[in-house]
Amino acid sequence: MWAQGGVTDEDKLSRAQARTVIGRVFKMASPFRKTMLVAFLCVCVTTLCALAGPLLVRRGIDQGIRAKDSYSLNISVALYLVVAVVAYVFGRAQFLYLNRTGESFLRVLRLAVFRQMQRQSMAFYDRNKAGVLVARMTADIESMAELVQWGLLQFIAAGMLIIFALVLLATLSWQLTIVALLVMPLLIAASIKFQRDSNKAYLLVRERVGANLSALQEGITSVRVIQAYAQEGETIQKFTRSNRELFKSHEHSVRVSTWYFALIEFGGVFASALTIGIGGWLVHRGDITLGTVVAFTLLLSSLFDPVQQLSQLYNTVQSAGAALSKLFAILDAQPELAEHPGAVALPATGRLEVRGITFSYAGSETSALNDVSISVGVGEKLALVGPTGAGKSTLAKLMARLYDPQNGSVTYGDVDLKMATMSSLRERIVVVPQEGFLFNGTIRDNLRIAKASATDDEIDAAIAAIGATEHFATFPDGLDTEVRERGSRLSAGERQLVALARAALVDPAVLVLDEATSNLDPGTESEVEHALERLMTGRTVIVVAHRLSTIQRADHIAVIADARVAEYGTHDELIAKNGRYHALATAWQKSQATS
Amino acid sequence: MTSIESDSEVAARLEIEDTQRSEGWRLLREALTAQRRNLLLGALVGILWASFKVAVPQMTKYAINDGIEKNGPLLRWALIIAGLGVLTGVLSGMRRYIAFRESRWAETLFRERLFSHVLKLHVGYHDKAQTGQLMSRASSDLMQIQAFIVMIPITLSNVAQIFAVTAILFITDPVLAVIALIPLPFVNLSARRFSHRIHPASVAVQAEQAQLANVVEESVSGVRVVKGFGAEQVQFDKLEKEADDILRESMKAARIRSSFIPAIDVLPALGLVGVLGVGGHRVLNGEITIGDLVAFNVYLTLLIWPLRNIGMIVALGQRAAAALVRINEVMSTKSEIVDPIEPKRLVSSADGLVGAVKFDKVAFGYSAEYPVLRNFSVEIKAGESIAVVGATGSGKSTIARLLLRFYDTQSGHVFLDGIDVRKLSLKDLREQIGVVFEDTVLFNDTVRSNIAFAKPSADNATIERAAKLSGAHEFIQRLPLGYETVIGERGFSLSGGQRQRIAIARAIVADPRVLVLDDATSAVDPSKEGEIRDAMKTVMSGRTTIVIAHRPGTIALADRVILLDEGRVAAIGSHDELVATSARYREVLANMTAASDPERVTN
Ligand SMILES: Nc1ncnc2c1ncn2[C@@H]1O[C@H](COP(=O)(O)OP(=O)(O)OP(=O)(O)O)[C@@H](O)[C@H]1O
Ligand SMILES: Nc1ncnc2c1ncn2[C@@H]1O[C@H](COP(=O)(O)OP(=O)(O)OP(=O)(O)O)[C@@H](O)[C@H]1O
Ligand SMILES: [Mg+2]
Ligand SMILES: [Mg+2]
Repeated sequence: MWAQGGVTDEDKLSRAQARTVIGRVFKMASPFRKTMLVAFLCVCVTTLCALAGPLLVRRGIDQGIRAKDSYSLNISVALYLVVAVVAYVFGRAQFLYLNRTGESFLRVLRLAVFRQMQRQSMAFYDRNKAGVLVARMTADIESMAELVQWGLLQFIAAGMLIIFALVLLATLSWQLTIVALLVMPLLIAASIKFQRDSNKAYLLVRERVGANLSALQEGITSVRVIQAYAQEGETIQKFTRSNRELFKSHEHSVRVSTWYFALIEFGGVFASALTIGIGGWLVHRGDITLGTVVAFTLLLSSLFDPVQQLSQLYNTVQSAGAALSKLFAILDAQPELAEHPGAVALPATGRLEVRGITFSYAGSETSALNDVSISVGVGEKLALVGPTGAGKSTLAKLMARLYDPQNGSVTYGDVDLKMATMSSLRERIVVVPQEGFLFNGTIRDNLRIAKASATDDEIDAAIAAIGATEHFATFPDGLDTEVRERGSRLSAGERQLVALARAALVDPAVLVLDEATSNLDPGTESEVEHALERLMTGRTVIVVAHRLSTIQRADHIAVIADARVAEYGTHDELIAKNGRYHALATAWQKSQATS
Repeated sequence: MTSIESDSEVAARLEIEDTQRSEGWRLLREALTAQRRNLLLGALVGILWASFKVAVPQMTKYAINDGIEKNGPLLRWALIIAGLGVLTGVLSGMRRYIAFRESRWAETLFRERLFSHVLKLHVGYHDKAQTGQLMSRASSDLMQIQAFIVMIPITLSNVAQIFAVTAILFITDPVLAVIALIPLPFVNLSARRFSHRIHPASVAVQAEQAQLANVVEESVSGVRVVKGFGAEQVQFDKLEKEADDILRESMKAARIRSSFIPAIDVLPALGLVGVLGVGGHRVLNGEITIGDLVAFNVYLTLLIWPLRNIGMIVALGQRAAAALVRINEVMSTKSEIVDPIEPKRLVSSADGLVGAVKFDKVAFGYSAEYPVLRNFSVEIKAGESIAVVGATGSGKSTIARLLLRFYDTQSGHVFLDGIDVRKLSLKDLREQIGVVFEDTVLFNDTVRSNIAFAKPSADNATIERAAKLSGAHEFIQRLPLGYETVIGERGFSLSGGQRQRIAIARAIVADPRVLVLDDATSAVDPSKEGEIRDAMKTVMSGRTTIVIAHRPGTIALADRVILLDEGRVAAIGSHDELVATSARYREVLANMTAASDPERVTN
């Protein structure tokens, strides 16, 4: 968008990698093989037409004008006209077919990569920052669009043009061809150097553009905090610094291209000076004719322009190659949560059993869960409590197979979750995450995340279940209110209500609730609790609890501490034990107390 | 698009568009006048370049006629041409450098102006503005303008070149000149129409790409929700729709390209055909020389690029104009919340206890029809702490926003230390009010810079003290690089409770007269909250504090409690007083205790 492609050294593909990338592209593009073939034929025809033009001019001059044969001249003119028309027709077709192949390929690629990303476990999302994944799906794929629209075509055409032009020049005069070729190494050397320098310069620009855009975005999204602390001046100064850095990198990149294009311009004129000087001398010696010198000066640009084009295209091709290989890496990553070949549907009901699981997050040395076993019967309610960072949410996530344990197993009705079909798993076990992420769209849209097929009535019922009907009814657009970016139109509690209503919309056998530490006022909260109670009846519930009331509603309580189950039992049993739970409950009571 | 407009409406709309456009151009003109010296130099260089460029074929012709055919001083001619090569090379380099440098510089300054303007716009503007929209003002719209400025020196040299070449052609052979030139205006016309039509098409492609990016962004950021509910297919369907849209729009753009680009490529060839046909016969008739015919060919090729470029710049100009209108729309938006002309000064804190806050009959709503606060009055004494209690959406956070003067009241007044907040400079006011917002916003920077945000010059001792008071010091020390750890979106991820504690430390460093804690410990677990609460007592002593809270323990921190209901104060007093006098308050409390009543649950 800001400049053409660029590629870092580490991203550069080795020859073998490049071969596999190209091979896979062709395999993925095989459904469009026919259009691809037609496109290629069209490119060949138009390139040939481009070269035929000057040849016909020469024919007209030599056989028509020189030979004083006006019939032959007319033939040349007529042929030239035909060539022009053919070039036009095939030119159009070449665009359409090439774009159709390319864009269809990009569409297939988009869908495949996204599908594959969705198949990955949460661990994948921990490893890859959101920004990087978004970049794969956008910038990386779009970087190929340029190639698809122009690049490929120019690349083929330029290559063919160089070969044909060389052959043509050589047949006209080998002496002059040698002269022209003397300039070529210079041009090629300059082009290679330029390609390298501009690649480096571009990478710098890209990095600075990225930093600049981040600064811009951070400034805009954090404007409230910036204004609240009266730090506009400081923030603007910081932005200005990053902006000036960006300017410097642009300036550097212009400097790199300036000398190159100056040299190219000079080289073109210099080559014709050389041709005229040496060619003239050859004419004086009687080695070649004047017409040859003239044709040469005309044809030289057919040799120089494509070299220049190729060097510029090289970056684009390389960065597209790098992008493709990153995308293929995503496609190749074995989804950690892939469905097992012999996967079976989970039974309608059953015990949820955790047997000796050990789990640590990728890249962390300590385990988040250490040899944990726990069992929840049909219709039972289990509360997980414990200090921050103990592993409660982690256990909850493993019980719904958002991750797979490194050791041990989680079974439902004696079927290992690893052996279950994905669709039956997500149908039986639903997780309501701690943070209620709101998507762009209306309140209704946000509920439909939980159940795409939900009717308006079902949504109304879900809102009613958490007792928020009246509240949202006061909104000008009711449930059709746009929640704006990340739900910024709503108050903090309203956002939580929307997230909770999602849970009321689905009807799973097992509900895993990672309770949000509350943003709700006591009034609303008690309504929500009634709703939760209703939600919990008749199903198995695992709840990561932050409220005493929720805990007390549970059949069993597991205190998680230091990645283990430290205590397990009913409320009364644990209180009697006078251990961790007792201490925790006391602290809670204190926070609920008014003095 | 509105369906039917009356003539007068159309006229009015056109007039508005006209003034918008002229204001947009004024913006550009101002920017360019500041850089006029370099731009004029660029234009001069461009025109010089064009004249040397045109001289090359002339010299070539002389070299052929005189040097080769007449056995003249061949070497001299060759050297002259080579010398011209040096000149055109150097000049084209200079032209390029000046054009790009100046256009980037203009873009850079524009971006800075835009950013600082946006940053100072009132919060109400930002509520409605979309981040993506503002971002594209400062990136892609500015790029359009840059692309236009870069073309200015090039266009001038192109015009010069076209005039020179046309003149030479007519001098050589007027008849042939007419024939050769006939197709060329069509090149220009097609290039113009092409740019004109391809632009909306590529904008549409970009818009679809942006929508796809949104779907991806949401699916990735909200992956827990997506996976928790098994909503993969929902998101996939959304993505597939966007991918299909991109394909459709791209193919529309491709069709436009296919109907113009080959034509633009072929049209000049028609001129060459004409020259060969008609010119060839004229040579046969002895009316012109072969040399003339060859020169004609060369000159025609010299015309193709300039004509295409000029066609393009017309379209680029239109695009730049549209971008300028959009930018001007932002730049001409005046902040509705501005410093008063003669700001009053707050009494200095040396003169005794400061931080008195008063809301006097305040009415406010985010839109006029839906009031949030109506007739809200409360007086908070300097150094007092007060808790605000009320239902979700009752307007608690709104009170904090009004105190910061994020919005102005619709009626009534807000006072800080006896002065209407509208009579204070925004900086003075906001330096004295530290709000910990309910959504924690941290910057992509070190922990230290985040805590020292309000006072970048704060020393280590101050920062650590604040971190200790907010209960953050302990976990910060356990971070990989301690206080130097980069946090935020692209840095180390912290839990909600940890983020809140850093935000509290940030407010403590600001050392404000009035501290507002908007549900600031909601994500901190209760056992830890007790500790923080104890520390907060230190911070609150001698400072006006407004606590918005849902937990009884936090409410108890305050000297007095306000119960907010229906946009006004439903009850006010100490906790004990309210329990005694307010039925509504008892109701709220009952809910609280009910929620934690063990007896109710067992069956
Ligand atoms: N995605 C992750 N990647 C790496 N480490 C993680 C990740 N999520 C959690 N952890 C770490 O694993 C440990 C257990 O975290 P978990 O979220 O299960 O705690 P928790 O008991 O739910 O705490 P809280 O009550 O604060 O929600 C913590 O030390 C945490 O820092
Ligand atoms: N930027 C906004 N634009 C329009 N309406 C808004 C905006 N911000 C808040 N509202 C609405 O104004 C009302 C009051 O919001 P406010 O955030 O003050 O509530 P609150 O009392 O803080 O609630 P909570 O306890 O949930 O945080 C709510 O109904 C909310 O939907
Ligand atoms: Mg958790
Ligand atoms: Mg609020």
